[in-house]
Amino acid sequence: MREMIVSELSQALHELARGFAHYLPRLIVMLILAFVGWLIAYAVKVVVRSILRLIKFDKFSENTGASQLLSKAALPTAAEVLSRFVFWVTWLGFILLGVSVLGILGLQEQVGRFFIFLPRLFVAMFILFFGLLAASFFSRAALLAAVNANMRSARIVSMAVRTVIVVFVFSVVFEELGIAEQTMLVAFGIAFGALMLGLAIAFGIGGRNLAQRFLEERFVRGRKEENEDELSPL
Amino acid sequence: MPLNTDPLWYKDAIIYQVHVRTFYDSNADGIGDFPGLEQKLDYLQELGVNAIWLMPFFPSPLRDDGYDISDYHSVHPSYGTLEDFRKVLHAAHERGIRVIIEMVLNHTSDQHPWFKEARGSRGNPRRDWYVWSDTDNRYKGTRIIFLDTEKSNWAWDPESQSFYWHRFFSHQPDLNYDNPAVREQMWDVMRFWLDMGVDAFRLDAVPYLVEREGTNCENLPETHGILKDLRHRLDEQFNCRMLLAEANQWPADLRPYFGDGDEFHMAFHFPLMPRMFMGLKLEDRKPITEILQQTPEIPPSCQWSLFLRNHDELTLEMVTDMERDYMYDMYAASKTMRLNLGIRRRLAPLLNNDRRRIELMNGMLMSLPGTPIIYYGDEIGMGDNILLGDRNGVRTPMQWTGGWNAGFSVSDPTHLYAPLIQDPVYGYPAVNVLSQRESEHSLLHWMQRIIKVRKSNVVFGRGSIEFLYPANHRILAYLRWLGRETVLVVNNLSGTAQAVELDLRRHKGNILIEMFGDNIFPRVGDLPYLLTLGPYQFYWFRLRRV
Amino acid sequence: MSRASHAELKLEDETFLTDDFLRQLINVGEVDILVGLPTHNNAKTVGSVVDAIRIGILRSFPRERAVIINADGGSRDGTPGLITGMSIYDARPASNLHALRTLHSISTTYSNGTSGGGALRTILAAAELLRAKACIVMSPESAKTQPEWISNLAAPIYREGFDLVAPTYRRHKFDGLLMTNLLYPMIRALYGLRLREPYMPEFGFSSRIGSQFLGGNGWSDRNGTGTELRFTLAAIKGGSRICQAFLGEKDHTERRAADLVPALRQTVGPLFSAMEADFPVWSTVTGSNSIPTIGSDHELMLDPIRVNRKRLREMFATGVAELESVFHLILSSSTLAELQRLARLDDEAFHYPAELWVKTIYEFAAAYQKSVINRDHIVQALAPLFRGRAVTFLIENRSASASEVEVNIEALCVEFERLKPYLMQMWKSRE
Repeated sequence: MREMIVSELSQALHELARGFAHYLPRLIVMLILAFVGWLIAYAVKVVVRSILRLIKFDKFSENTGASQLLSKAALPTAAEVLSRFVFWVTWLGFILLGVSVLGILGLQEQVGRFFIFLPRLFVAMFILFFGLLAASFFSRAALLAAVNANMRSARIVSMAVRTVIVVFVFSVVFEELGIAEQTMLVAFGIAFGALMLGLAIAFGIGGRNLAQRFLEERFVRGRKEENEDELSPL
Repeated sequence: MPLNTDPLWYKDAIIYQVHVRTFYDSNADGIGDFPGLEQKLDYLQELGVNAIWLMPFFPSPLRDDGYDISDYHSVHPSYGTLEDFRKVLHAAHERGIRVIIEMVLNHTSDQHPWFKEARGSRGNPRRDWYVWSDTDNRYKGTRIIFLDTEKSNWAWDPESQSFYWHRFFSHQPDLNYDNPAVREQMWDVMRFWLDMGVDAFRLDAVPYLVEREGTNCENLPETHGILKDLRHRLDEQFNCRMLLAEANQWPADLRPYFGDGDEFHMAFHFPLMPRMFMGLKLEDRKPITEILQQTPEIPPSCQWSLFLRNHDELTLEMVTDMERDYMYDMYAASKTMRLNLGIRRRLAPLLNNDRRRIELMNGMLMSLPGTPIIYYGDEIGMGDNILLGDRNGVRTPMQWTGGWNAGFSVSDPTHLYAPLIQDPVYGYPAVNVLSQRESEHSLLHWMQRIIKVRKSNVVFGRGSIEFLYPANHRILAYLRWLGRETVLVVNNLSGTAQAVELDLRRHKGNILIEMFGDNIFPRVGDLPYLLTLGPYQFYWFRLRRV
Repeated sequence: MSRASHAELKLEDETFLTDDFLRQLINVGEVDILVGLPTHNNAKTVGSVVDAIRIGILRSFPRERAVIINADGGSRDGTPGLITGMSIYDARPASNLHALRTLHSISTTYSNGTSGGGALRTILAAAELLRAKACIVMSPESAKTQPEWISNLAAPIYREGFDLVAPTYRRHKFDGLLMTNLLYPMIRALYGLRLREPYMPEFGFSSRIGSQFLGGNGWSDRNGTGTELRFTLAAIKGGSRICQAFLGEKDHTERRAADLVPALRQTVGPLFSAMEADFPVWSTVTGSNSIPTIGSDHELMLDPIRVNRKRLREMFATGVAELESVFHLILSSSTLAELQRLARLDDEAFHYPAELWVKTIYEFAAAYQKSVINRDHIVQALAPLFRGRAVTFLIENRSASASEVEVNIEALCVEFERLKPYLMQMWKSRE
């Protein structure tokens, strides 16, 4: 009995040792992969960061107003955010690669799905980022145009433009990620209609001066006098 | 080479203007003379000219460079004898060179026997040969020409206690052309020289012959009547003779002197000359084309006479005030270079001795419509001496060699009628006929060449002109044509290389032949004809359909 | 800039003039005086302008080689034809003008839309190709253009070696408020030069600064607005010799940049933008110097004009209310609070003090430099505030004499100069 226990135990130990011996190289490989992955991810991060600096990405995002968005969310500069994102995705990829080397069933499948999902995630992130930028840019443009055109409902126009664009962006993002596709289709239908309305208003504002001048020059020369109380600024 | 018998010979002529005093001294007295001129006729033949215009050589007190004549039938003793003149005339004709002499009709010297008689007493038969008055109030509307020296057109004669009329210097009393005897006498004078064989007269100061109260006494119909009468007598009694008018007037005012081809054969185009200089300085053809646009048509038998420089100042009477100021500032910066309303300088110094500009100006002189006149010495680029008074700076001795007295005379240098040009640039050691003969590249050789080319084509003397007006205003381009013969002249008035596009579509299919080298240029097509010209360069092209 | 893109730019430089225009330039050749005339549908006024130019050239520069170059933005009313028809040219000798020389009057159409940039660039390129010694640009719109203007603008350059001649005009005291309340005082404070009309409809310049500006970058800026002001600022920065010349009455019919927002885009935008590159220049300047001026440096007309102040003030108030979110990003909280207090005041009590106005502008300039939001939005956001300042200026000078108006403008200038350290502080903060 004692012998049995001993033999079972030793066998178990053996198996454990064997199993350990079996898994140890894989574990080491995984750790190496994780370590190398970290190195590579870090290198990629440095490269991405310097490339972004070289092309003055921060300036660009400042001009589009993205930096403003980021600083509101207490995030570092756009270039830093982007390079950190790339770092984590790269390293995560390597770690998952290492995990799959361990040969644990089921996990491998999940890892494979992760890699398939990765590009869509990138695209969705991209759309979200620029979509939100566009929303804030166009809403502000509409606001300024409306104020300078002396429209009473400037803020409403601006809000409408922002809402339409944000809804549109989210519908596209969810579509891309494959989440709640049906709901999003309906939401998009509504949003699209609203967008058209928004565009019509935006064009109306943008073209107002042009149309006014055109009409004035063609038909109502007399009306010019009323406007002359605005002094020539230059 | 006998003279041809073409009555229109003056249209093809190239005239060389010379004063016998300045050309060559054969008897070592320091003054040029007829035997000297005779010796140098070979030189003129070599140059290619076919007419010489002799400045006044008559006996004279020489107070106005011989234009104050005291005897119309003789030769000033300094220049030789009448016989010497006859020899020159004969020798010139033998070489195919015609002789044009001066005829001063308007006035005589106060030393002329006629005037001496006339002032002798109020009852003298010759009294009425001049214009007398008891007051100096008559003909008030008449301008004074020599503003720098004369205050009135009337001068007081103490001998006969009355005033006499003079348009020029007070020692040049005007003849009275209302007197038929004067008219007869002057025709006699002309006939005297015509009989001898003289080919043409340059008639001096013709606008002023007759005076009428209430007019400016210039260009009067009576004056034209007298001139027409002289021409009529000339045509009746002689063949192949010519009258050249000196009348410094605007082209439209000059036009009547051609009549209907029954007054003068030729007249100087005074307004063109300063505008050629102006166009060159402005690098703009506008002054030249404008004055030629304003120049009226003349009868077919008549001809303009063109010149760059002559024995007088470069006259600026026929330009606007603005143009005159410009000309003064550009060509006579120093006040000593100015005289009356003009600039007393020679061609080469005016053009800063720039060979390319001298060539261009001569090129235009030879290709614009008219008969060109070359002033002696300009064919070798002689300089002037502005330190000499009046216009004597441009009347210095001809520079034949670099040796003793420039080869002009073997006399003592102190006996020369005028000092030689001595400065390092234009002095006779640097500028003379002998050295230019030896140098292939000399201005003299170039002048011989251009005269030869001009004489090779009759369109230059007789053809019509048509301006091309390319958009590049630095390019003066024109067509000269006669019958089927057409020559294209393109002048670059600027000191930089230029590109020009000429509209030659009417001459499509012709090839261009450059006349100095007889080289073929591309055929004229539908596109504008593109030419490039170097600084101050000009081209003469013969158009030929092949 | 990389080598490749430099070569591209060069290539673009060489081809932006059309072949036909180049051919015309060859025919014109070297000139002494070049008069540039940017046009776009100006047939009504351009005839009298060209006539004045022509007489001006003939009177003041009869001996000089001159050319009139029209850069047209694609007129449909025959403007270029009117200009080219006024050449003085021997092939068409109908002119009753007496001229020594040919005077070419040529025209070309520039691309790049109708903004001024393309026109000025064409004129500068022509000036460089023709080696013009003195160039002037004339406005095609002022029907009151006088022949003397040519000499006033060109002579200081041609005869006295100045590089830039700015105009001064006889104006109504309420005309050009953007000039008197912003551009003049601010440029004066920044660069230390008392340039009355930094945005110049008419001006003269030397070949030196013309070529410099033409060769500089900034042409890649597609919309090209504000080229005129950039030119002025480039001249100031380049240490050019600048003078002013009094021209005469400025025409009210000029419609160029009559609307406020385009006017701001053409002037304030380029000014803010230039401040970034010119920091080493303006940061060291204190005080200001007057500029040699031929004739008076300004003349004011005082006749009363009707202005709807109430409407202006209302636009200010709504602007401050509606754009709060935008101002929040641009202005300091104290300035914004002060503006919001002003917005609540009624007509009688309303007063937008000079100090607050100067601080507003300086904060805008700093925000522009930092691109806190889209730069064009910053410029647009200034419009309602400018209207507020305009109201105060109108009230202050309602019954003021010319000299009193001048005192008020001078006081504002001094305020701009005094608060320059505040600008430096704003500029350096958050960096």
